[in-house]
Formats: sequence, C-alpha cells, structure tokens
Amino acid sequence: MEKIKQNPIVKKLGFNRIILCCVLVLMYALFAVFGDNFTGLPRILSALNYAYFLGFLSLGVTFVIATGGIDFSIGPVMFCAALISGYCLTSYGVPMALSLLISVLVGMMFGIFNGYLVAYWSVPPFIVSMASMNIAKGVASVFTKTQSVSWPQGVSEQGWFRNLVKVGDFPVGLVIFLVFAVICSIILNKTKAGRYILSLGSNKEAVRLSGVNIKKWEMLAYVICGTLVGIAAIFFVAAYTTVQPGYGDTYNNEAIAGCVMGGTSMAGGLASIGGTVIGVFIIALLQEGILALHFRKDYQLIITGIIVIVAVYADVVARRRKN
Amino acid sequence: MGEVILTMKEIDKSFPGVHALDHVNFEVKKGEVHALMGENGAGKSTLMKVLTGIYKKDSGTITYEGKEVEFHNTREAQDAGIVIVHQELNMLGHLTVAQNIFIGREFKKGIAIDDKKMNEEAKKLFDRLHIDIDPAETMSNLTVGKQQMCEIAKAISHEAKVIIFDEPSAALTEAEIEELFKIIKDLRKQQLGIVYISHRMDEIKVITDRVTVMRDGTYVGTLITKDCTKDDIINMMVGRVIYEDPKEHSMVAPDAPVVLKVEHLNAGKMVQDVSFELRKGEILGFSGLMGAGRTETARAIFGADPKESGDIYVNGKKVEINSPEDAVKCGIGYLSEDRKRYGIVVQKTVAENSTMATLEKYMKGLFIDKKKEKQITEEYVKSLATKTPSVDQLVVNLSGGNQQKVVIAKWLVRDCDILIFDEPTRGIDVGAKNEIYKLMNKLAEEGKSIIMISSEMTEILRMSDRIVIMCEGKKTGEVSIEEASQEAIMNMATREIS
Amino acid sequence: MSKSKVSNKSVISRLGGQKFIVILVVIGLIIFFSAVSPDFRKYTTFMSILDYSYYIALMAIGVTFPLITGGVDLSIGTGLICYSLTGGYLIVQKGWPVGAGMVVALLLSIAIGLLNGVLVAIMNLPPFLATLCTCMITRGLGSIFSQNFGISWPTSGTPGSWFRNIFKITVNGTKIPLGFLWVVLLVVLMAFVLNHTKIGRYTIAIGSNKEATILSGINVKFYHIMAYVISGFFAGLAAIAYSAVFSTVQPGTGAGFELEAIGGAIIGGVSASGGVGSVVGSLIGVYVICLLKTGLPYIGLQANWQQIITGLVLIGAVLIDIMKKKKEQK
Repeated sequence: MEKIKQNPIVKKLGFNRIILCCVLVLMYALFAVFGDNFTGLPRILSALNYAYFLGFLSLGVTFVIATGGIDFSIGPVMFCAALISGYCLTSYGVPMALSLLISVLVGMMFGIFNGYLVAYWSVPPFIVSMASMNIAKGVASVFTKTQSVSWPQGVSEQGWFRNLVKVGDFPVGLVIFLVFAVICSIILNKTKAGRYILSLGSNKEAVRLSGVNIKKWEMLAYVICGTLVGIAAIFFVAAYTTVQPGYGDTYNNEAIAGCVMGGTSMAGGLASIGGTVIGVFIIALLQEGILALHFRKDYQLIITGIIVIVAVYADVVARRRKN
Repeated sequence: MGEVILTMKEIDKSFPGVHALDHVNFEVKKGEVHALMGENGAGKSTLMKVLTGIYKKDSGTITYEGKEVEFHNTREAQDAGIVIVHQELNMLGHLTVAQNIFIGREFKKGIAIDDKKMNEEAKKLFDRLHIDIDPAETMSNLTVGKQQMCEIAKAISHEAKVIIFDEPSAALTEAEIEELFKIIKDLRKQQLGIVYISHRMDEIKVITDRVTVMRDGTYVGTLITKDCTKDDIINMMVGRVIYEDPKEHSMVAPDAPVVLKVEHLNAGKMVQDVSFELRKGEILGFSGLMGAGRTETARAIFGADPKESGDIYVNGKKVEINSPEDAVKCGIGYLSEDRKRYGIVVQKTVAENSTMATLEKYMKGLFIDKKKEKQITEEYVKSLATKTPSVDQLVVNLSGGNQQKVVIAKWLVRDCDILIFDEPTRGIDVGAKNEIYKLMNKLAEEGKSIIMISSEMTEILRMSDRIVIMCEGKKTGEVSIEEASQEAIMNMATREIS
Repeated sequence: MSKSKVSNKSVISRLGGQKFIVILVVIGLIIFFSAVSPDFRKYTTFMSILDYSYYIALMAIGVTFPLITGGVDLSIGTGLICYSLTGGYLIVQKGWPVGAGMVVALLLSIAIGLLNGVLVAIMNLPPFLATLCTCMITRGLGSIFSQNFGISWPTSGTPGSWFRNIFKITVNGTKIPLGFLWVVLLVVLMAFVLNHTKIGRYTIAIGSNKEATILSGINVKFYHIMAYVISGFFAGLAAIAYSAVFSTVQPGTGAGFELEAIGGAIIGGVSASGGVGSVVGSLIGVYVICLLKTGLPYIGLQANWQQIITGLVLIGAVLIDIMKKKKEQK
C-alpha cells in the first residue's frame, strides 16, 4: 500500500483522486448493470446537466472551506439568483445577456455580504450561512411575489442561453465547467489569492503577522464562492427551466459532499479542485443512478448525508493520526 | 522532612523515535518541597504525566505510601491524593469559583446540585489557606494569580498528599508569587509532599528543600538546595560548562542613526508609557520577568494588537502603524515567541513560508513565479544554514531551530531592517541556539537593527548592546552593556512600582 | 478586584442583562404593531402568535443546550417535520392510537439526537456539518415514511383529536392557550436542569473549556451527547405541538424552522461561541421572532419579509455579542 502511494505517478495524480476515479468507474458499472438503459447517451447528458450547476457550487464552496470556513447558503442563494434574474427577464423585459449578468451579480452580492461579516466582523461562518440562507429565500420570495419563474425554452428567441449547456448532443457545459475548474485550480495554486487563502486556512494568525491583509483575502474567498454560485444559477435554469422560491437547500449538502469527498479538509488549508471535480461527478452520477434504479430522490438526501459524514470523519481521523 | 511518601524507580518511557525517559529515579518526602529541574525537553513533564496516569510507563515502579501503584488517568491519581496544578490553568471561566473547585464531584441535594454547600466548603478551604476569594464569583473575573490559588484550593480539597506545581509562577506578579510561597510553606508544614517544577533559579533557592535535575530524559542527580550553588545546578542541567561570555562593550557606533523611535506607547495594562530608541546595527535587549509587558509592547509596535496612544518614528519619520501590514511596509519584522501559532504555516513548504510576507515580489503577472521563489528561498536556506532536504519540504517536518530560521528568512526576504525577535531561542536545543546567536550578530553587523526580547539573563547579557528593562507594563530602566550586571537588571525587573 | 467589578455592573446587567433588553424589545414590538394596526390588537391575533410560538419555543429550549456547548443543532427543523410525519403516518394510515404515535415520534427524535451526539462527541465532526447532514437525512426519511404525501393528524371533532386540546382548549366559547402553560413549565424545568443539575453544569463546562472538563475527570462524551439528545427530544415535543396546532404536515418542509429557534436563543443571550446562555432568555428571544413573524403582515409587509428580518436580526444579535466580548477584552 505504502509502496503504491510512493510511486511518482501516483504521487503526482494524488492517491485519493485515483481512488475516487475508481469509485466513479465502479459506480457507473454498477448502475449500468442494474439500472434501466443506463449506458445510453441521454443518461450521461442528464447526469452532466446535474453536474454543471452542482460543480459550480462545489468549486465555489471549495474556496470557502479552504479558508476553514463554511457556506451552506449556496443552494438558496443560487435559487435566489435564478429567481431574481429570471423575474427581471420575464416580467421586466430585461435582455437575456443582462439577465445572466444579474444572476452572477446577485450571487456575488451574497458573497460580499457573507465574506464581509465573516472576515471583517468575525461572525461565525455557520451563523452567517444560516442567516443568509434565509435572507436569500426571503428576498427571492419578496422579489417574485412568491411565484415560480420559468426561463425561455430552447426554441424561443431568447433560448440561446441554453447553448451554454449543450449544442445538439455536444456537452458545451462540460467544456465550460472544466475550463472554470482549471481557472479555479490556477487561482488556488498559482496566484497570490490562492496562496493566501490556503495559508490563512491553515494558520490565520501567522499569515496576519506576516503583514498580510487577511481580511481582504478571506472575504475574497466568499466573493469567489458567491460569483460561482451566480454562474451555477445560469446552468441550473438552462438545464431545468423552472425555479421555485423557498427551496434550494438540498443542494448545499451535495455541493459540500463533492468538495470534502475530493479531499478538501474541513479544517481549512488543504483543498483540491481536481478532487472536487471528481467528487461532483460522483454525486451527479449517484443522482442519475438513483433515478435509474427507480428509487426516489429522497434516498439521495440520505446517501449524500452519509457520504459527507464518512468523508469528514475520514479527514478527522487522518488529521488526528498526523498529530 | 518526614518519611518518603512517593518513590519512582527506573521509570522508562519511549515514544516513536524518542527515548523520553531513560530509567529515571525520583522521590518525594512528606513535608518537603522538591524541585524538579531541567531544560526544555529534559523530560520533567513526561515524568509527571507518567506519575499521574496520562502516559503509561514502559517499565519501572511507582511506590506511593508504601504500596506499588499504577494510575490509568488523572482521576485515579487524584483520588489517591496526587494532584497537578497545571501551568496552563484548567479554568472553566463561565462557572463560579466554587463550581470550579468541586467540578465532577458536586454536592447534591436530591437530583439538584447544592451550590450553597459548595460555596460554604470552598470558603472553608480558602480560610485554611488564608486567602480571600469570594466562592460565588465567576472564575473569569479573577486575576491569573487568584485563579491559581483556586487551583491550589481545588488540589487540597482532593485531600491531596502530593501536589505537583508545574511552573506555577510563570504568569504571576511578584506579589502573587510571594503569596504563593506563603501557601506552599503552609502546605509543607501540614506534611504534604510538594513537587515544584520551575526554571527560575532564584525561586528554587528560596522555596525548595531538595533539587532533582534531569537532562535529555535521564536522571542526573539530587542535591540538598541549601548545600549547593546555582552553578552546581546549572552544570548538572547543561552537562557541560558552556562559557557564555557576556558582551564586553557595545558594537554600535555612538553616532549610528536612530532607526526606530517609540514615544509614550500605551496599550492596555501591559504597555504603559513606553519610550525607547533603536539604533542602526544595534541589538537592543528587552529584559524582564514573564508578564512584564515586553511581548505586548512588541505586538503593539508591530500593529498586531491595537494601541491606545503613542508615536512611532521609523528613520526619523513619524509612521502610522495600525496593522502588521503597515508595520511590514515600514520595514519591521516580528518573530513571535510562539512559533507554531504565530510564526509558521505548518502545512506549507519552506519556500511558501519564506515568501509569505513578500509574495508581490515573486509574481509573474498574475501568477506566482515558483522558480524565482525557490531560487530566493534556496539562497536563504544556504546563508542561514537551514537544515531541510529541499525547499519543497513542509515546514511541519523541520526541527524547532530550523523552523525559526524559516521565519527569520521570511523577514530577510522582505528586506526588513528592523527585526523584533521575541524569545528567539525558546524551545531550541543548545547547538541551534548558538547558531541563532551567530546569525543575529551577523545581521547586526550587516546593519539590521534588532530588538531581542528574552527571559534568559545569559542571553540578554551575551547578545545585547543595550538593555531595556520592563516590569508590570512599564519601562523601569535602560542600561548599556558596559554598565549592565545581572543584579542591576534583576533589581529593575522586580522594582516595586508605587 | 472582584468587588469593584460587582459594583461596576450596570443597572441593566443587574436586572438580568440581555434578557431585560429583550423583554423591552418584545414589549416595544407589541406596542408598535398595536399602534399601527388595529387588527393586531384582537384576541385572535394573540392566539395565533401563541400558536406559532409553541413549536419554535420548544425547539429553542432544546437547542439552547448544544449551543451552550459551543455547537449547534441544524437538524431540529427538518427533524420536527420528520417526527411529525412518522407519528402521523402511523396514526392515520396504520390506525395506531394517537398516544402511541406520539411516543414513536418522541423515540425517533431521541434517536436522531443520539446520532447527532455520537457524530459530534465521539466522532469529533464539526457540529454544524454533522447536523447539516442529519438535517438532510431526516428530511429524506420524513418523505420516505410518509410516501411524500402531506399528513393530517386527527382534526378536531374526530376521535383521537384530544391531543389538540393539550395546546388549546375551548371553554364557554373562549379559546384558552393551554400550550403556553406547558411551554412555561418546560422552561422552568429545563432552567432547573441547566442551572442546578449535573447535566446542565457540565453542558456549560464543555462550552467553557472542554479540555479542562475532560481533565476534571468528567465523562465529557456522555454529557456532550446528552446536550444533543435534549435538543432532539425537544424537537420531538415541538413536532407534537406543530401537529396539534396546524392541520397538515408537508414533507420537504421544516428547513428554516431551526433558524427561528436558534435565532431566538441567540437573541435571548446564548453566546454563539458557547459557555453562556439561559433557557428563559431563549424563550423571550423566541417571542421577538414570533412577533415579527405574525406582526409584519399587519403593517403591510409580505410574510416573506420575516425570513429576511429574522436573518438580519440573528446577525445583529451575534454582532452585539461579539462587540460585547471585544469590549470585555479591553
């Protein structure tokens, strides 16, 4: 076992990530054998649809968890962004491109709000999450007068935004998502922002005493998260058309699950974008598989709950062993 | 001194890679105060942890009150009458004094806790110790000294026969230490066995009857305190006589420019009206007892903690420092006394830690220039003689001395001209200590100015060109190295301030 | 030193500190809403505020314990719905007696509380994460048990509706809010538990300094778990209150209830960092939230504004706590 871990190729790719890939393949095989029609392209496309928006949520929350914080307002904020921009589009006649921008901006606003409170006022992140989760739901409901919003269909004049997800059967969304993942990975590993975000997640006080403005960088993590959540909203409506106010919290857990499964530590300081991407695919595949096995969506809530518990527990044990 | 109450014989304990205790012997008699001494890492705490059941010994015997015993946790030791008063106080700040003393064995009235009786019992304990503390007061409202008294009261309430004090005076004021000694003498009269762990030689002479010295996990020997000199003890502790020559005279030119001037600095109780000057190429020692306000002064200058008032001039120009960021911009670097908490980011590499304060210099556009980063780090690894397999090594894997060098490198990379070294050699072994000293001298020669906070008198006398002495948050003296003597400094560090 | 501190205490802190201020806020809100809207002054409004308050108050009493340990329990909201659905399903679909359904709901709530406790105290997971997971799990379980249909516990007039009288009884045509009596009794009971029993004492001790508590030889794991069991059990009681007050229970709801309870507790003086809090304070805090919830529509704001305002009030309460601590440190 140790030998395999020390192998240079394995080291480069990351042992955990290889295991995760194996899990992904194994799951696919399992669903292919036991599920109905699982091997066809439609299933894969449908799973990918789920992976896009979830992926953006997961990428975003990876930055926050890297600082040692948490954000479980992302699901409702995504809905809030989709609802506000959708309502602008359908009720106020705002052009499509601008609506998409509004969606990103709404996400970003929540990121700024959360980040400011956590970084500059030291409000515990879980309190901020809890509050902004409800604020997001409330704002969305008030703005849309508690009505659901349906985005234009693909054939309509403004349906071009659906090309972001796929053109014909070609999964454009996958390309965009992977490009964003690469960008996020570069930000996290190759830029000042990423360096400081990871460092302050590991030892905030030491970074502060190095003369670094930690508040700024900590807040930035939340802003990046919020922005990605705003983008996630676009991919959500492009795949599922209709959004209803008052919901969205089930996606929090799935996004966090993708992230912690991928090897990002809840204690902060350690994060892997590659791991998050694979983690997201596992969750998306799981969701599709549960449907293919004719289970109800509710089982997925339970399964992701258990996944997060197991993944975080593994992290807790690993850290304890190190100390 | 009465009969022997506790004997530890041939105690052996290993951790992976470390032989922490190598057949150590130790005994305590009734009615004696027995000092346990040794440098950091000598194995004092490990020995006491074996005694109280926190660690399991590999071999050896513990005989207590004539019977061989082995405790499996502190609770068992407590029940038998062996209690530790910890260095870090185990306070439950939100509970009252009495609730703290009787935690885990509350008096009950039916299912309810009988707080009234607990208060009464606590009062009785305090009367026995002649201390005046209100048992119903919330713990966090008490001073550290009073909190320690409560810990002692708690120990006595366990019907303790052996009490272990683990560096009890570290956080106490002079007056509080006196009160503590009174209590310890009282306990001695009551025929308790007392183990006293401390680094303060003068205290050892005042309060203890015998001294046992440990070094590198081995038992060195036991002396009768009144029959030995300080040098005897030191020689046993270090094993070899290290000639630690004090600096003869200042290395700083008399006309060297003032690079840092602090005027009337105030920050809370611990920093009151502190003023001093630091010259180019000077090592300015900050001496004083623990809790004199030296670290607080340094942190206030560095902007790590908010200050209330006072002016800071760098190179003659008045500067506003409200955060470490501002301080670093002025060319000030700070090495914290608590390296692990404030100095290094353990999960990051040597290179990443070295450029922590200077990242903008190592950017290529938006991205970090890792090649350049490595290059500069390698330079400093070489010049500071940091022992690390590569600059990509995680800092957590380095030894204390080498971690310290990484922190120093961080500030040198930043090109800081004013360096504040807060206890730079704490927790570092003797060999590495000398290296750090050499390094500091070299830096001073190169024209860097250093403020060195140190609690070790030899360190102060060996390194400083000039010495500022602080006591209870105030600057109480300043002497040049030529006129400095241990006695004079000690005198100022303990001066009564009315 | 200690003596001068006592005399320095302000008038407010001698009157009970934050509790006193929060009572003033409650009174202020009542006066404000009454002044602005004549409809608010009616007995029915009073009743509906109380009806709304029972389940939130019960959850708040329970969640005060994990909050004081320095943790949190996010599973109480969806948990409440899950317990209510499970009990209701057995009563309505399986024909169990109402009493038996209640017992099952309570047992399930204790089981989930126990699970939370084990995850936090023994497996050392961060409390918000562990309970976020159980929040999702209970939500899934609730939907599965009820097969995704809304469930109505026996309505008044039908056999088995006696349990609704526990909370509201009609005497001579006047509705009497009996539930408030139970809530007050439970508050008194749990205040006693918190302040005068080992469970409470050690709950505070854990929140104050867990390491020191362990070193005092206390079975910290057990008492830490107990805090979550209490929280779970009170969510179970809240489930019964909810089922008795409202006609139908919908699967998939309940998210957000926990905010009202936790918000109430924090407004009432529970510190988000643990060690400090009182059950009475939590109860008073809950009424700030309930008044906002019921009062806002009377001044012409949509009910959804309440979500926004609750969120802001929660952050405000925590900010006050943080600033108070900063001041103390100086």
